[in-house]
Amino acid sequence: MTEIRLANVTKTYAGGQTAVDAVDLTIHDGEFFVLLGPSGCGKSTTLRMIAGLEPISSGDLFIGERRMNEVDPKDRDLAFVFQNYALFPHLTVKGNLTFGMKLRGVPGPEQERRLAEVTAMLGLAPYLDRKPGQLSGGQRQRVALGRALLRDPVAFLLDEPLSNLDAKLRAQMRTELVKLHRRVARTIIHVTHDQIEAMTMADRICIMQDGKVAQVGAPMEVYRNPANTFVATFTGSPPMNLVPGRLEHGAVQFAGASLPVDVRASGGDVTVGFRPEDLSLVAAPARLPINAEVVAVETLGADAILVASLIGGQEVGMRVPADTALSPGQPIAVHLDPDRLRLFDPGSGKTLPRR
Amino acid sequence: MTAAIAQRDRWFGFAMTLPGLLALLLVVLFPILFTLWTSTSDFTLLKPSNDAFLGLSHYTQAFATPEFRHALSVTLAFVVAVVVLEFLVGFAVALALDKVEHGKAVYYVILLFPLLMNPIVVGLIWKMFLHPTLGIVNYVLSLVGIPPVDWLGVPDNAFWTVVAVDIWHQVSFMIVLLLAGLAALPKEPYEAARLEGAGTIRCFFWITLPLMRPVIVVTLLIRLIFAVKTYDIIYIMTRGGPGQATELVSYYIYRRAFVGLDVSQASAMAVILLLVVLALTAWLHRYMRSLAQ
Repeated sequence: MTEIRLANVTKTYAGGQTAVDAVDLTIHDGEFFVLLGPSGCGKSTTLRMIAGLEPISSGDLFIGERRMNEVDPKDRDLAFVFQNYALFPHLTVKGNLTFGMKLRGVPGPEQERRLAEVTAMLGLAPYLDRKPGQLSGGQRQRVALGRALLRDPVAFLLDEPLSNLDAKLRAQMRTELVKLHRRVARTIIHVTHDQIEAMTMADRICIMQDGKVAQVGAPMEVYRNPANTFVATFTGSPPMNLVPGRLEHGAVQFAGASLPVDVRASGGDVTVGFRPEDLSLVAAPARLPINAEVVAVETLGADAILVASLIGGQEVGMRVPADTALSPGQPIAVHLDPDRLRLFDPGSGKTLPRR
Repeated sequence: MTAAIAQRDRWFGFAMTLPGLLALLLVVLFPILFTLWTSTSDFTLLKPSNDAFLGLSHYTQAFATPEFRHALSVTLAFVVAVVVLEFLVGFAVALALDKVEHGKAVYYVILLFPLLMNPIVVGLIWKMFLHPTLGIVNYVLSLVGIPPVDWLGVPDNAFWTVVAVDIWHQVSFMIVLLLAGLAALPKEPYEAARLEGAGTIRCFFWITLPLMRPVIVVTLLIRLIFAVKTYDIIYIMTRGGPGQATELVSYYIYRRAFVGLDVSQASAMAVILLLVVLALTAWLHRYMRSLAQ
């Protein structure tokens, strides 16, 4: 049972800026854990602190029961995959893969056995004598993964490993990484700014914002119940719609509509949030309709995104069938299930607790 | 259509560079051709019309001349000593400077000072510094009780003194090139190696040296080409002396031609030197082209 635990971990640079601010995290054994956030949110720094590539300014890092703050990177038993793969350009694929084993003095036959195992797993056998410069991005990616696998570590730390690949390959590698995770059954901490990667691969997601943890949870939990407006807009594509509203007598009023809600707060200004797929087109006399006007329809193939303007001028996105034939300027009526509404404090952006 | 435009552009470019090319032909190609001619004839300044063709006899004669062979061996020793020592010192300093985070510019300026000086000036300054009785070096040594050294008056001393002055003058060249190479190395392989447990020494031999190989080879070759041609420092500091202890081949050729007035023999030797430099340059050129691929 090897849990990775960060307790109050902070990174402050010499210039005084704080990159990571009092982060508390527990990553369970064997979990596929994704650190998600925009660039500069401190997710890579957090990962590098776990690996030992950056010293921890304050707080504690535990791997298992052991405090690791001052432990040398090589003794933390972690494997790191870099965004640009960090292969040794002067060594062949084989040289790259066996570098660590040579360094640790793994005996020759053992090296060969494990090399064969990993190259078979990743399909690298035909490229063993090539240098990184002669490989495609995807192949380099595999070599970097292979190097990590040969380490046989407690956990794999992946720093945006898919961001240098083209879209098609990225989708393919997502599936492969998940398969690989199931196969090796080790903890993976994966850093990314791509919410699709996070949603598709993670057991749990940690969303970071300005060096702080904004929310930790399973993908659907984060998606359905975002802790604040930042998480709400960072997840989902298109993101959650946020419109200003007013809470009065157990109902929220916005854009000319009034919907019942069960939040603990009694009244005042709120931000109303709902996902594009929570809206649906209805015939005008339906129950609790919201009136709007079509601004644009973006066809995606499987479905389409309808951009509509609510009363008050707020633009929202809604997911509609691909064959929806509406033209800009046309009035529409929209239904929204009140259960799907999420209310946020307009000042702090935090979600309002439900009753 | 495009071929015609390319053709026209080429002619236009050629026309625009023609004056420069003509000037170059006049000051570079003409002397070389003239040297080739004098080296194969019995041309003499006393009677320029005396120019019977002799073939390669001056070339065979050159290698039969003990003084020329001596000059070649002194040059070889000088080049090896200078290039190897400058490389070792330069690489060590470059590695140290690569780790400097603040005030790198200050070090750069200090380092570049010797390189900015004319070799004649460098020679004169050091000749003054190293003067047996009036020089500051012997004065400083005397303060700690070391008896005066005759830096340039004793054959072995003179050779190593010239080597040392050349290192002082040229080592910055190595430092600057190697430092640029080090600064351009990717950081991640080092982090990857560190995670695998490689220490500083391992990282140096397993990563830095192999990754720096192209920069090292190019730096050494460029320095080698210039070292083979060294002339000014010798002319100013020792005039090849004492005896012939510091007589580098280019200085010997000068002496043969303009002191001994044996122009055609000196020309043959100059052509030999030119061929050596040309071979080194071709090697450098080919290596750099192979890197580009």
